[in-house]
Amino acid sequence: MAEETKPPAPAAAPPKPAGPPPPPPPKNPGMVTCTIDGKEVVVKPGTNVLEAAKHAGIEIPYYCYHKRLSIAANCRMCLVEMSNSPGGKLQPSCQMPVAEGITIKTDTPKVKDQQRANLEFILLNHPVDCAICDQAGECKLQDFYMKYDGQPSRLDVPKVEKGKRVPLGPLVVLDQERCILCTRCVRFMREVAKAPQLGVAQRGNESFITAFPGQPLDNQYSGNVVDICPVGALTSTDFRFRGRVWFMSAARSVCTGCARGCNTFLDYLSETTYRYRPRENDAVNQEWMCDDGRLSYKYLNAERVLAAREGRGAAGKAVRAVDAAAKAGAILKPLAEQGALAALFSPLASLEDLLAAALVATEGLGRAEVYAGGHPDGWQDDFLKVADENPNRKGLEIVAQAFGLVVRPFSDLVRSIEAGRVRGVWAVGAEAPDPRAAPAFGKLEAFVCQAYNSGGLADEATLLLPAAPHSEMDGTFVSFEGRAQRFELAYWPRGDSRPHWALAGHLGRGLGLTWRWKDAREVFEDLGKRLGSALGDFRWDGLPSIQRRHGLTPLAAGTVDGRLPGYRERVPLDVVDDARRALAKTS
Amino acid sequence: MDAERKQAAPVTAQEPRAPDDLDAPFPAKRMLVNLGPSHPAMHGTTRAVVELDGETIAAMKLDIGFLHRGFEKSCESVTWNQCFPYTDRLNYVSAIMNNVGFALAVEKLCKIDVPDRAKYLRVVGSEMHRMCDHFTLVGALGLELGAMTVLLYAMEARDLLWDRLTELCGARLTSSYCRIGGVARDLPEGWSEKTARTLDRCAVLRDEIDALLTRNRIFVDRTRDVGVVNREDALDLGFTGPCLRASGEPYDVRKSAPYLVYDRVEFDVPVGAHGDNFDRYLMRIEEMRQSERILRQCLAQMEPGDIAIRDFRYVLPPKPQVYGTIEGLMAHFKIIMEGIKVPAGEAYSYTEAANGELGFYVVSDGGGRPYKLGIRAPGWPMVAGLPHMVVGSLLADLIPTFDTINMIGGEVEQ
Repeated sequence: MAEETKPPAPAAAPPKPAGPPPPPPPKNPGMVTCTIDGKEVVVKPGTNVLEAAKHAGIEIPYYCYHKRLSIAANCRMCLVEMSNSPGGKLQPSCQMPVAEGITIKTDTPKVKDQQRANLEFILLNHPVDCAICDQAGECKLQDFYMKYDGQPSRLDVPKVEKGKRVPLGPLVVLDQERCILCTRCVRFMREVAKAPQLGVAQRGNESFITAFPGQPLDNQYSGNVVDICPVGALTSTDFRFRGRVWFMSAARSVCTGCARGCNTFLDYLSETTYRYRPRENDAVNQEWMCDDGRLSYKYLNAERVLAAREGRGAAGKAVRAVDAAAKAGAILKPLAEQGALAALFSPLASLEDLLAAALVATEGLGRAEVYAGGHPDGWQDDFLKVADENPNRKGLEIVAQAFGLVVRPFSDLVRSIEAGRVRGVWAVGAEAPDPRAAPAFGKLEAFVCQAYNSGGLADEATLLLPAAPHSEMDGTFVSFEGRAQRFELAYWPRGDSRPHWALAGHLGRGLGLTWRWKDAREVFEDLGKRLGSALGDFRWDGLPSIQRRHGLTPLAAGTVDGRLPGYRERVPLDVVDDARRALAKTS
Repeated sequence: MDAERKQAAPVTAQEPRAPDDLDAPFPAKRMLVNLGPSHPAMHGTTRAVVELDGETIAAMKLDIGFLHRGFEKSCESVTWNQCFPYTDRLNYVSAIMNNVGFALAVEKLCKIDVPDRAKYLRVVGSEMHRMCDHFTLVGALGLELGAMTVLLYAMEARDLLWDRLTELCGARLTSSYCRIGGVARDLPEGWSEKTARTLDRCAVLRDEIDALLTRNRIFVDRTRDVGVVNREDALDLGFTGPCLRASGEPYDVRKSAPYLVYDRVEFDVPVGAHGDNFDRYLMRIEEMRQSERILRQCLAQMEPGDIAIRDFRYVLPPKPQVYGTIEGLMAHFKIIMEGIKVPAGEAYSYTEAANGELGFYVVSDGGGRPYKLGIRAPGWPMVAGLPHMVVGSLLADLIPTFDTINMIGGEVEQ
């Protein structure tokens, strides 16, 4: 009733100023439609212009933007013309969400001028470093300079000098002069690693990235800042000055540091693995990996067993690997018949290795149980790293189940050896959870050991067979979640080494088995059937299509002789051995 | 008649000769003669299988491929600039013309216009190499017909020219003088004057050769009406260059589609009438005169300036900028390691090389290396037309005819 008593609004009230026109109804309900360089693009609401353009196949250059990090919009490289921008100002495409009906232009003279000018500013204080910079060859400064700038320098004053080699932590060295202050590393440490150990200090052209005084960048995920650094400011202490990236090829691989199975690129040159880089897989590791995993490649290079050896210690003599493997069958057979033989499988071996080994253990040697070796458990966190530091324990369990083998712990095997119940061991992989157990293996009558590296159990073998690790074979690891993931051969097995499955095949033939496999794929096709549905919808050829990258001199149109592009004839081992040892020492 | 010959043919030493043996018809059995691939008289490593009826060529088959190097395929695995050494080895007697042809094709794709001085330098190199090519041909032709002096004169002139070219590009034969966007280096000091003196001497030698051969009874008899190809046949066979012009068709790319600075210099295109070896020889002598004219005009017209465009995307930055600025260093790094980025597309560009129209067809996918490369070698149609020219003539005329079409194994077989 009170409302009725209110005086009526004056009839001559001034008309309301015309507000903004109502937004047009969306062209595609539930989606946002815009036009980028004349192409109509339909994206989800909230998508930024940069991603929308990428979706339409239009490249917008950027340094600071990273799709898994918050948006800083500080590199100013991605500015574009947008029809709804006030005063026609250029807008950072990484930060601006697409609005309905707008027109975006990425290749107008205004945008090109801004890109050129921006690059000139970015390069103003950049040192003349390409020749000594590890990033050269995969550097966004080089790429964008050639694509969007191409102008000579106009600088006639000295460049600002800053810290040239600032060790931020055990794995990361910072060159503050090369830094373009995109703050990707700062944001990564804060948002992904959840350890804000990096920050920007000072102002203007004196600013630099730094860790806090007395607090090194020691987070277990610090290595990722090297990967996301678009320039050569952050380099890895492990990879610094060891090789030039344009000579290296990259194979699609899986990290063997723990059971997570982070997808990696394995960068190699000739027969040496130089580094792991994370490979994108949203379901597993997004595009990160931990530092321990990153450094876990070293066993592929150093202290490798490259020739078969018969006899222990000083009595050992070199033999041909293939002969030795066939001979091993004859050594193991009588012990197996007496029930004094044990099979030790390592969860570092691939699924194909374990399938072949399980076949030989059951059908050739009549075993009903198998002991699991492998690395001891390590640290874990709630992000990527799991405690089990073996990439394929799940695979071992699946295979054992398929072949009706009981998996028993390594400690049982040591006890049995010490009690004298086991007098012979066939080890597929020499990794042992307990390094103190090695002397017990010295008591064995027969110890046939297929090993990647010397030391530990391998030194106690009566017959040592050189095994090729995952960099030298195609194969599969099953992660702790049961996800089977393929990795591919980077280079052919070094020296006399062969993959476990091949050695097991030779050993099996010594026992009268008739299986013959040409490659890991045949092993999987023959024996993978026995796994039933344990691997879900895994396909052996299902490696994601991110292209394998080849070194500097690929054959442009594929191969004419069936060899891999970039393939080099193998240099005899004794020639490169010294160099390789020297290389291993630099790590 | 045939039946009689067959009966008469088998005459052996054992049989007592009939008194009328001398009158017996010559055996009509045809003979197959193999020439080459390594025969001192063959030009290049080529094999000719000739079927002889007496001394007359009844049929002929050419067998090429002994010098095949996979030029087109090789270029796909090197950067654009690294193709130049490969092009040197096409027509190796006139390498700069191949360099120029390739550079023009790529520059067409990049839409680059090279500076004037670079254009003049390219023409200077090309015309000097054209003279080298023609001197080689004329000298060899003389040699094959017994005129050793001519060869010596021609070699002297060619070596003088090569000396100048060595000073210009650092190599006598494989010049690699061009770059995408310009040329590799500028004229050395005093080079123009030296070259003018060289041209004087070459003119003397050329006129000596002219005097020795052109009115020489033996030479004229051996070349006149030999290896004739008329205008229609020459066009049908795809002849270009001096061989086509000798048959009476005045087609010269330098006139019909002028490139570089050929529209700024005066020169004449000699045209023959008979399409025989003698006319083809005369073409060369006259073209050397015209080349000299072009050279002298170029040297007079040339002005100081850039020898390559100033664009870091295509041409290596000057060394002080490479060592002193990050921009120069990055450009150098990218050009060397990845090659210049030629816009995606395809282009065909053709020039008048010493033997005719030299065409380069380049396809780019936007990367640093050619996606595909094709070449129209001027010598190829002439080689294919050789049987047409020699069947019916004497075996002794095969080699001079082979010479006047100037087959260069390097370019024909690529």
